[in-house]
Amino acid sequence: MPSRRLSPLLGLLLILALVVTLFPVFWIVMTALKPPTDWNAVPAVWIPAKPTLVNFRTLFDPEAIREYGVGGVSQSASAAVFGSLLASTVSTALSILIGLLAAIGLSRYSSGSTATPLIILSGRMFPPAAIAVPFVIIFSAAHIIDTYSGLIAIYVAATVPFSTWMLKSFVDDLPREIEEAAMVDGQSRLMAHLTVTMPLIRGGLFATTLFIFILNWSDFMFALVLSYGRIATIPVQLAKYVTATAGTLYGVQAALAVLAMIPLVLAGFAIQSHLARGMTFGAIKR
Amino acid sequence: MSMWPHQDTIATQHMDVIASSTTERPADARSLSISAKRTASPVRFLAAPGQIVSLIVLVLPLLVALYMSFTNWTPTRGSLLNASFVGFDNYAELLIYDTRFLEAVVRTFLIGAVCLSLEFVLGLGLAVIFLREFRGKAVLFSAFLTPMMILPVVVGYTFWMLFQSNGPINQMITLFAGQSFAPEWFRSAPFAVATVIVTEVWHWTPLFFLILLSGLNAVPQNPVRAAVILGASPREVFWRVILPMLKPVIVVAFVIRSMEIIKLFDEVFMLTRGGPGSSTETISLYIYKLAFNDFQLAYGAAAAFLVLIGTLFLINSMLLPIREQLLKERR
Repeated sequence: MPSRRLSPLLGLLLILALVVTLFPVFWIVMTALKPPTDWNAVPAVWIPAKPTLVNFRTLFDPEAIREYGVGGVSQSASAAVFGSLLASTVSTALSILIGLLAAIGLSRYSSGSTATPLIILSGRMFPPAAIAVPFVIIFSAAHIIDTYSGLIAIYVAATVPFSTWMLKSFVDDLPREIEEAAMVDGQSRLMAHLTVTMPLIRGGLFATTLFIFILNWSDFMFALVLSYGRIATIPVQLAKYVTATAGTLYGVQAALAVLAMIPLVLAGFAIQSHLARGMTFGAIKR
Repeated sequence: MSMWPHQDTIATQHMDVIASSTTERPADARSLSISAKRTASPVRFLAAPGQIVSLIVLVLPLLVALYMSFTNWTPTRGSLLNASFVGFDNYAELLIYDTRFLEAVVRTFLIGAVCLSLEFVLGLGLAVIFLREFRGKAVLFSAFLTPMMILPVVVGYTFWMLFQSNGPINQMITLFAGQSFAPEWFRSAPFAVATVIVTEVWHWTPLFFLILLSGLNAVPQNPVRAAVILGASPREVFWRVILPMLKPVIVVAFVIRSMEIIKLFDEVFMLTRGGPGSSTETISLYIYKLAFNDFQLAYGAAAAFLVLIGTLFLINSMLLPIREQLLKERR
């Protein structure tokens, strides 16, 4: 299709689409900055006249919001922020390590059977609510229910398919002659991969790492069914805030929601050229 | 880069040489060159950790769930090992008597069909606009991707807030249409379903946009030029030349989204919890309630297996149109 300029009508449509796309994000960020009087105001306060960070402070100090004469939240979100950071980073690191080995194995040595992709995919198709049930049983028996180790184990298992296939698509892009040259030079296979393959796919490795982090950080259901008080993550905490306070502390809830999405939006923009590859198991490359 | 600067430069030079000489190697040459067969090299076991993890943490739970689905086990009856076997009772109950399950299946399917159609049309429209040249294109491209970078729980929460009875959406409706047109979104079934659809479409249209745009940009230009020279109108070129070539990409987008929307849970949980009544209850939400509110774990597992079988069947039939291509790519 020849590239042409934008007609005024299409330009208008584009602006309309942009407003619809960005409005919800704008609203939640603004709500997080609003003092309690503005949260639920009629007519709506679109941009707070006196923006405040009190909602964010309340997340870590539940009493902070009282200076506005509003009851505090029952629970600090510090544990949830810590839990999300811990579970997401550790499981991402493990997932990438395992996925990288598998990617090189699958791409270069066809190691692993042809059934592997099928098994992996059916794992992804199984409704998580149901796969969570056996996890609860197995984890209870193994005494790792309501622990971060258990949560991390699930996250690794759930994301290894993604890290493997995304990394494999990057390794596939490399001509194998490069590694062969290093092997002819006398390096062992593993050394060749370590010194040649790894540096050459470092961009892909970076993108995959952030992508896996996004997946882990986004999880809601596994954390919901596996946490009974000793562990917490941000999404579960957000759900708790919404029920516990019956929807009255909009600003504090919004602050937690904004806190949850900041790292993801940053990571997402950083790897935006690789997002399609990640979401499609490497089927689409650009 | 900094760790292995030397190899890096060499490798890059190699790559340039190779890229200019050979583009594609015959498939059978691969096993000759760096085959690990018959050697005790550790490379043979590179995929092992991944397989072990999949085995322990994916296959094992699946087997437990499968076994459980043939029993009448609930946590109050002691150990799963002592549960009594009931054959296909759970499955029969689900398929014949459980209208709530069947309704959830139909509902998920309908919501999915509406969402995916809207996402496809909107995503394609946006992608086509992005084939043109305009100022700020790169920035706008990123801006349009924003929704898909936000986690589902937060998206669900955000729209729950937007759709409150005195929330911004109703205030805008009131502004333009008057007080009497502002509905209580979560109190009536059709409006609640609408909130779920709007939320999903907002969240995932960017994925269609992204996939379709990358597909459109990769469309080979020669057939397009040929059609233009032969006198085809831009419309004909788009519908009869470009769109057919886009078919594999479209199928991939639909398959990926179908797999996800069948599992739809987080957004609905935050928006409506399946209510009012069970009017927005998706399959995942129903299974969740069965297992974690009613403790009908065995029954829930059976439901999950029915869903898995249905999903496999659906995805397989969706892949049929590009089956040939997939087999070719696998070499």
